[in-house]
Amino acid sequence: MSGVSIGEGRVTFDNVSRFYGEVLGVNRVTLAIPPGITSLVGPNGSGKTTLMNLMTGLVRPTRGEIRVLGIPPDDSEPLGRTVGYSTQFDAFPRGLTGFQVVASFLRLFGYDQTTCGRLAGAAIERLRMTDAADRKVAAYSKGMRQRIKLALAIAHDPQVLVLDEPLNGLDPLVRAETIALFRELAAQGKHVIVSSHVLHEVDQISDQVILLSNGYVVAEGQIQGVRGEIQEQPMQVLIRTNRSSALASRLFEFDHVVEARLEEGGAAVLIKTRDSGRFYRALNQLALDGIDIEGVMPVDDNVNSVYEYLIGGEGSR
Amino acid sequence: MAVYKRTYKAYDGALTPAWSRFLILPRSAYGYVMQSKFLVAFRMACFFYPLGCALFIYLAHNLSILKAMNFQGAQFLQVNANFFRYFCAFQGSLAVLLTAFVGPSLVAPDVANNALPLYFYRPFSRAEYVLGKMSLLLGMLSIITWIPGLLLFLIQWSLAGSAWMQENSFIAWGIFIGLLVWDVILCLIALALSAWIKWRIAAGGAILAVFFAGAGFGAALNSIVRTQYGSLLDLRQVIGLIFSQLFRDDTAPPVPVANAWTALAVCAAVCLWLLAKRVRPFEVVK
Amino acid sequence: MTKLWLAQVASVMRLELKKSFFARRGLWIYLLAFGPALLYLIHAIDVTRDHEHRQALLKSHPVETSTLQLIEPRMPEEKVLALVGEPYQRDTFRFGRRQLATFTRLHYTDGDSDYSIGIVNGVVARIDRQDRCNVEKDSAIFATVFQFFYLRLAVFFGCVGIFMNLFRGEMLDKSLHFYLLAPMRREVLLAGKYFAGLFAAVVIFTLGTALQIAALSWHFEPGQVAAYMHATGWSDIASYLGVTALACAGYGSIFLAAGLVFKNPIIPATAVMLWEGINLFLPAALKKISVIYYLQALCPTVAAPESDINPLLRLLISSAEPPAAWLALTGLAVVTLIVLAVAGLRARQLEINYGTE
Repeated sequence: MSGVSIGEGRVTFDNVSRFYGEVLGVNRVTLAIPPGITSLVGPNGSGKTTLMNLMTGLVRPTRGEIRVLGIPPDDSEPLGRTVGYSTQFDAFPRGLTGFQVVASFLRLFGYDQTTCGRLAGAAIERLRMTDAADRKVAAYSKGMRQRIKLALAIAHDPQVLVLDEPLNGLDPLVRAETIALFRELAAQGKHVIVSSHVLHEVDQISDQVILLSNGYVVAEGQIQGVRGEIQEQPMQVLIRTNRSSALASRLFEFDHVVEARLEEGGAAVLIKTRDSGRFYRALNQLALDGIDIEGVMPVDDNVNSVYEYLIGGEGSR
Repeated sequence: MAVYKRTYKAYDGALTPAWSRFLILPRSAYGYVMQSKFLVAFRMACFFYPLGCALFIYLAHNLSILKAMNFQGAQFLQVNANFFRYFCAFQGSLAVLLTAFVGPSLVAPDVANNALPLYFYRPFSRAEYVLGKMSLLLGMLSIITWIPGLLLFLIQWSLAGSAWMQENSFIAWGIFIGLLVWDVILCLIALALSAWIKWRIAAGGAILAVFFAGAGFGAALNSIVRTQYGSLLDLRQVIGLIFSQLFRDDTAPPVPVANAWTALAVCAAVCLWLLAKRVRPFEVVK
Repeated sequence: MTKLWLAQVASVMRLELKKSFFARRGLWIYLLAFGPALLYLIHAIDVTRDHEHRQALLKSHPVETSTLQLIEPRMPEEKVLALVGEPYQRDTFRFGRRQLATFTRLHYTDGDSDYSIGIVNGVVARIDRQDRCNVEKDSAIFATVFQFFYLRLAVFFGCVGIFMNLFRGEMLDKSLHFYLLAPMRREVLLAGKYFAGLFAAVVIFTLGTALQIAALSWHFEPGQVAAYMHATGWSDIASYLGVTALACAGYGSIFLAAGLVFKNPIIPATAVMLWEGINLFLPAALKKISVIYYLQALCPTVAAPESDINPLLRLLISSAEPPAAWLALTGLAVVTLIVLAVAGLRARQLEINYGTE
């Protein structure tokens, strides 16, 4: 093993590559995903779904090794019990109702009919789908199908949830409820691995992010940490104060500050700095020196900015 | 000024003539079809028999070579109507297989991906669409059927002389008309099934089933109901009857040849009806 | 563990059976399965009506079978009429350049058989007798149709439709991940799908065979049927039903494997069809790697191919030297198990790649 140790409590990729003929899926991915909510972010074709399919055993790596809480994805029996996957595919077995889809899936686990009914009912209720449970899935709207897929993924109470764009097609209310559900599951110590292209939602829900571009992992970790490592892009901080000009001129004395601009009609200063640690220490000193600071707000340590800096115009949506 | 008018500049270059615009369909479809290595190999294999026939004709006219090789059965080497009829039957069978491999890729992907409305937004009529798709398969079938058949006839003519040609010109017509009719029927069946069966693998199976299961069902009908008209369900036998007429075979046919022509006409009409029902510039949402 | 696997196989079967029996795209399979039964039914109705018609003619033109058998070639027409009376139908044809020569056909019936007496120039030229269908004759026809149409084409293409749909069809529908995400060994999934397909195929095609036999025997007198049943009838029926089921098992395994291994299973299906067709011409060792070789050995009657069949069909109806029944059963089981084992290995490597379908 190089790079990553196979942790029992983590989802690990060790130098994993996957090619579809001559087309690259993902290349040399080395990751260790801890419990909590992890978001996979990247433009179309960056390898998000391939990464998810790899960890759920739907595709095999061309090279490298994957472990899901220590289980190789080839071992479908323990893997299926450990992982719940809400795929991007909308197809279900034909002619079944929402309840039947979930219950039939649970029957494949070997549960008896009563247990299947109970678990399916509970999962469907958790996704607020009980009213539509007895209708054929074929007649469901996109949002309803999305919720049934989520119910399928959580019905057997898996330790690892892999969710491919799970908020697609959901209305705002259900979106909020679903995000709350993810948080609840993460709080229980589960892995919730989500791919999404709605960056502000990723910002809201993620404990950590994995940024992908052209099949490569370009960054991973907590978003502030990732942002801090992007040295070539100065960090932007907005400071609200009634002495904007004085603050701007004092800050310019530091060599790590590369730009200071008055904003909001002079009520605030936007500072760009190459060293956030030294900048905050300097700011503390200025406050002690009598400059009244009303508020400090980092403006680009979010996913959107990180995405912009690392992936740029390659396909950000 | 609307934004698009400021940013969009219409194409003002030369246009393809309207009458030949539909040829884009076979051109693009040909590229798609030829991606399959199996199909390339199969098409090559389709020329083995014509090459063998050409060699046969050459040897039949150069018996001295065979005598030098101590070949005893030289008297059996006869190039006559039967020789060309067997050629037509064999290449016609290969044409069925080629149709089953190529035919499903013609319309089925367009129907499956709801692409027909996209075609008909362009200046394409339904007839041009069908013609365009059909011309690809018809071209591919012609290359392995009547074109090599006529080439063999020309080889025989050049070796046997004009007297043979005058006596046997009906053979050339038989090859051309018989195999062209067969190719057109194959194309129509392939297009109709490909238009109705979205899954191209199933469409390929259905094409094979029309010929093989149809032949079997016809034979079963003949046996059970004690008739000969079941033969009309076997399209290979139907075209065989037509060949027997075109190649002036004296053997009494099991059913009148006129019935065989009628069966082909009915088959073509059904295929055209199926195409007219399916190839439409809208999709039906259920 | 075995209990879990059995439960999983049952669960897969529950889901698959509905699809195998009621899928709209599989309706043509019923046509293949029940088409021959329909033909037999049409034939039975025709024969029954024909028999009733003959009985009515016999009443209006009574004649004894023994008397009809006294008619001989070169007998004068007057003597024929004196012997058996007026026919129920008389056809007269004139031929020759001036149409002076005549050919007359006199039609008689004894209620069971039709007699056509051809008279040329006033004397009997030929006697044609068309007997009513009998059990032996119809059994032979059934054997031919069963082996050359039903097994090689109807069951063959039916199995193509049912078994290739199990994996390849789900790839196309983009629904196979439903199974692959369950905590289930791929071999268990394969077994579940195979048994579901097999159950559906066996029910559909053995029912088709049974209906054919029922339709075939419908127009016979109860006594004739009872006599046939008493002789070899039951064992023949059991053999035909068993062979049908075995054909589903054998072809099913092949097409299930083909659906797993090939993106376009039509190419292997064509290859298998041609392989089965050229079985007769294969060396003994290769003959055994086919399904039809064993199936034919288990059929109660060896059917001869029709002589006027076209070359394409002739390719399909070659027959092989039959092995002993126990050997046929073992061979078929071995072929099926080997193919299923290959399919199992392929299933382990199965990946979801819907985009390339």
